[in-house]
Amino acid sequence: MLAYRGRIAAGGVLFSTHQAGEALVPLLVGVVIDRAVAAGDPVALAGWLAVLALDFLVLSYAYRFGARQSWYAEAWADARLRRQVAGRLLDPRGGGETGRLPGELTGIAVSDAKRVAELQVALPILIAGVAAVAVTAVTLLAIDLSLGLLILLGTPPLLWVVQLVVKPLEKRSGAEQERAAQAAGTAADLVSGLRVLNGIGARPAAVRRYRDSSRQALGATLRATRAEGGFLGTVQLANGLFLAVIALVGGRAAANGDITVGQLVSAVGLAQFLIGPLQMFGFVSARLAQARASAARIAAVLSAPPAVGAPEDGVAPGGVGPDGVGPDGVAPGGAGRDGAGRDGALPDGDPAAGPGELSVRGLRLRRPAGGSGDRSERRSRVDPATLEAGDPGDGRHDGDDRSSNDGRHSTGRLGSDGVDLDVRPGAPTALVAADPEDAAALLAVLARESGPGDGRVTLDGVPLDAWPPEVARGAVLVAAHDAHLFPGSLRDNVMAGAPETADPEPAMAAAAADQVAQTLPDGHDTDVSARGRSLSGGQRQRIALARALAADAPVLVLHDPTTAVDAVTETRIAEGLAAHRAGRSTLLVTTSPALLGQAGTVTFVVDGRVHARGTHAELMADDTYRAVVTA
Amino acid sequence: MSTHTVLLPVASGPRIRAVLGELSRPHRGSAAVAVVVLVAGAAVSLLVAPLLGEIVDRVARRQGADAVLLPVLGLAGIAVVQGLLAALGVALTARFCETLLAGLRERFVDRALHLPQARIESAGAGDLTSRVTDDVSAVSDSVREAVPELARAALMVALTLVALAVLDWRFLLAALLASPIQVWTARAFLGRSEPLYTAQRIAGGAQQQHLLDTAAGLSTVRALRLHDRHATGIAERAAEVARLAVAVVRLHTQLFARLNLAEFIGLAAVLVTGFWLVGSGATTIGTASAAALYFVNLFTPINVVLFQLDAAQTALAGLRRLVGVADLRRPPEPDEPATVRGARVRVRGLTHHYVEGHPVLTDVDLDVAPGERVALVGASGAGKSTLAGIVAGVHAAGSGTVEIGDARLDDLDADGRRRAVTLVTQESHVFAGPLAGDLRLARPDASDDELLAALDRVGAGGWARALPDGLETVVGDGGHRLPVVAAQQLALARVVLTDPRVLVLDEATAEAGSAGARALEESAEAALAGRSGLVVAHRLTQAAAADRVVVLDAGRVVEEGPHDDLVAAGDRYARLWEAWTGARGGEPAPSPRS
Ligand SMILES: Nc1ncnc2c1ncn2[C@@H]1O[C@H](COP(=O)(O)OP(=O)(O)OP(=O)(O)O)[C@@H](O)[C@H]1O
Ligand SMILES: [Mg+2]
Repeated sequence: MLAYRGRIAAGGVLFSTHQAGEALVPLLVGVVIDRAVAAGDPVALAGWLAVLALDFLVLSYAYRFGARQSWYAEAWADARLRRQVAGRLLDPRGGGETGRLPGELTGIAVSDAKRVAELQVALPILIAGVAAVAVTAVTLLAIDLSLGLLILLGTPPLLWVVQLVVKPLEKRSGAEQERAAQAAGTAADLVSGLRVLNGIGARPAAVRRYRDSSRQALGATLRATRAEGGFLGTVQLANGLFLAVIALVGGRAAANGDITVGQLVSAVGLAQFLIGPLQMFGFVSARLAQARASAARIAAVLSAPPAVGAPEDGVAPGGVGPDGVGPDGVAPGGAGRDGAGRDGALPDGDPAAGPGELSVRGLRLRRPAGGSGDRSERRSRVDPATLEAGDPGDGRHDGDDRSSNDGRHSTGRLGSDGVDLDVRPGAPTALVAADPEDAAALLAVLARESGPGDGRVTLDGVPLDAWPPEVARGAVLVAAHDAHLFPGSLRDNVMAGAPETADPEPAMAAAAADQVAQTLPDGHDTDVSARGRSLSGGQRQRIALARALAADAPVLVLHDPTTAVDAVTETRIAEGLAAHRAGRSTLLVTTSPALLGQAGTVTFVVDGRVHARGTHAELMADDTYRAVVTA
Repeated sequence: MSTHTVLLPVASGPRIRAVLGELSRPHRGSAAVAVVVLVAGAAVSLLVAPLLGEIVDRVARRQGADAVLLPVLGLAGIAVVQGLLAALGVALTARFCETLLAGLRERFVDRALHLPQARIESAGAGDLTSRVTDDVSAVSDSVREAVPELARAALMVALTLVALAVLDWRFLLAALLASPIQVWTARAFLGRSEPLYTAQRIAGGAQQQHLLDTAAGLSTVRALRLHDRHATGIAERAAEVARLAVAVVRLHTQLFARLNLAEFIGLAAVLVTGFWLVGSGATTIGTASAAALYFVNLFTPINVVLFQLDAAQTALAGLRRLVGVADLRRPPEPDEPATVRGARVRVRGLTHHYVEGHPVLTDVDLDVAPGERVALVGASGAGKSTLAGIVAGVHAAGSGTVEIGDARLDDLDADGRRRAVTLVTQESHVFAGPLAGDLRLARPDASDDELLAALDRVGAGGWARALPDGLETVVGDGGHRLPVVAAQQLALARVVLTDPRVLVLDEATAEAGSAGARALEESAEAALAGRSGLVVAHRLTQAAAADRVVVLDAGRVVEEGPHDDLVAAGDRYARLWEAWTGARGGEPAPSPRS
């Protein structure tokens, strides 16, 4: 807002000039009546008409430039606010969208930004309104003291009446807007759930539901317009009575010879002119209230704490640089953490250039219920790499080794458990979680969408959270199983994360997406519509997988990449995938046996703890494991 | 494929008039009253200028200070009447306009929800959504503000001109000197603004779509580090919107400059006429003053008329798009809807394509006996979902027939179809509002107990009761967020409430990820109980548990029969089965049904 102070001031001055010019028109009309018409003087007529022309010229140009100043400022402020909201949402540290659905976020970036930007125009208009009242008053005082005083003293109560009436109206119209928005929201929601409605044959029921909410909105609107009618009526009444009083005082003064007939005409004309600015006050104050509410919503998004990184490196509102890197992308390390990130300095080099050895130690997948975890329990731990794999009799090596606590099922103590995991270049590593929530928690940490708590995740020896999230993600790519496809051609989607010169074919072949391109009407150039809805479920998933492979990250984490494809295709993908990633670090978070068969070590997590570790074939002897992966 | 986007229809002028006429017919009476009140209000306000003129005349005639009292009382009286009429006028106009608008939007949503799914998809999802939101609100705003203001202002202008003529016809002539400029300005302006507004709407839509897409895919954007690309894209769209806004302002300021010129010419002409008429004794100073005041008071209404005409253009574009859909016929319901008897499914000679020349289904025959469970399997992209959608009546078939029981799907009305067959896919949608409202879409008259029973049946009773407000908890967009598994159980609870004879499940359990799928399979099992079932599944345990398996390949049925037979046959299905079991150590876990 402050960035545009100059423009607002300039707009205010120009609009004020315009208003003053407008105020002069009735005054000049009075003068013409007096000096020319009443006096029958053609020279005076010509002279004063010239003055009138000059006045029109000034007011016209003042308006033109004032309007351009203000509206240009509005347009650019609008764009700027939108960029800021988008910038916050796109901040690699995330958190801007927390708790809000895409529709709501879009609403904030579009409608709320617009309402706040409108202040660029509303404020100059307000300034001009004040100026108009002042000019009118001064002119009237010059014509006649009592008349001028009448207007000066009469205007505030008039304004007060307007305010008095506007207040409840504002409240009403707020409620009305809410209802209307609700009806619109219902419609949009029904339309976006149309496929589901179709599936259950609920179109007629949906139509009835919309009609109900539309009728409610109508009821609210009608109540609000009754209030609005009352408001308008009151304003007209007040203005009309005010005019009558001025006519009375002015008429008597003229009859007594205190002022001329022309001055009377001027006074009356000015009083009528005054109605405009007065009504403007009501309009502007309503806009101000709206803008305040909108500004609060925008501020809530801009100041939302980042999902990763402690609050002290919180995002300054809109302060994200063009490259998306905040002032200090480093999350302060938790207590007891060593490594490069500790002093807040960025480690040297590029994490994506290393061999890509990912190691996870003591990562707690479940939030301890209350209280800080007791770190003393993180004592000497068996290196997972040295663990013998698969002991189906009692697979709980890891837990048992350190379980000084006996209540591992009580949520209060679960915090003392954690997951260890190593992902090294070579054959893919896999993780099977009996509870999908555990998998989600691990993926969030690896994707740097959430912090590791007091666990430790390192890449080539450097804590992953020592890097700004977007740098870490360049080295560790976590591909979600429901990843989003963006509008564009098939090829654009596959190449979205890849270097520009890369060849999409190997990745597409590995993901069995080459076959998708073959069956689609326009091959690689086929348009992927919004959210890939024109593709079959399996086609969509294979393209997302090809995109993840094409990005060629040193560490690739794939979450359930084959849930939507058939068994034969899945086998083909499993083999293609393993071959494509040969010699690089790959973690498969899945329960699909076809994929697990391609993995070297499989880590099996139950209740947030490592339950067993081994190859897929070895673990198949474990009943729990078998039940999870073959269900 | 949506390579060929065909937008939804846009209505022509005559159709708009026809639809609005039809919708307003029941409210004609109130419209007439509103017009009378508006005219009366405008007429009364015209008395102000002559009364002021009368005061001037009385002063000029030196009738003494008290002589002004009478016209002043008149002014006060006018103020009262004007206030009352204004209040009444606003309320009445709003009642008429808003009721009309509500009728229009309801009809629009009715037609929109009855559009064939393929039609909506070939238009792009954004087309309908933007009509439902942006166009409805643009038209509403205009009805709320532009129409009443335009009516009032136009009346003011017309009546003021009449009043000028009553004072002296030569005043009218003088005032009309301004009108050529005004008419010329208006035409030039309206001609130039229209394309700008179209461009604005397109740019705004693109911006909205981009934002929505980015917001929906934020975690993907982060994972693939696409921030810069998206930020740049949004910034470009925002800049385009701003550029167009600036162009519009430019146009507006040009308009006002010309109008100022017209104002000056008209005012000068009226003053000169007054000078001349007073000089020749044809009129009094008071009348000349009144004429001048009349004309000065015309400035605002004329500006308003032009401005609102302009605003009305935007609204008109929205209206075209609304009426375009509202004017569509509802898909015809059969005159004598068939009633479904029996629960078998019979598909014959079904052929379908989304894109001309790219058949997705070719000559498909399929049978499901009453109470039978048939699994539909096949390679990804084989056409399973398409077939499932057609059997459920969600997609219209290209050619061929689908029968449920002994009735053709086409011969059923909406209600009959609802009771006949339900489709649940992995795509879940939780409808915004109370949980009970969502469920009642499936059976509007269900009691709370029935809702809870349905939830219990699919294993969702636990979490549903644990919600903060139970069944009244607001869920969906803007409310309590349900996890994927819960959302899908909700979908299955809807099935229990609808109680169709045939249930088609299209990977209804897939989206939950493999680990969540198991819980869902039990829910699905509960929903399937007692119905004929067509189950699309990649998880072959589900196929093994079915009575019969149908294998689809490249849009054709290539194999069908009981699971064991097909495995023994050693063909396509056997290969699928081998791939499936091979990975599972040859020994599938017991199916939930056995
Ligand atoms: N709405 C649509 N518009 C255009 N083409 C479509 C649309 N839906 C599906 N297709 C195409 O039709 C073919 C069959 O798709 P369908 O969804 O029926 O396959 P499917 O057998 O269900 O595959 P999957 O196992 O991957 O879900 C695919 O090639 C797909 O690209
Ligand atoms: Mg499918």
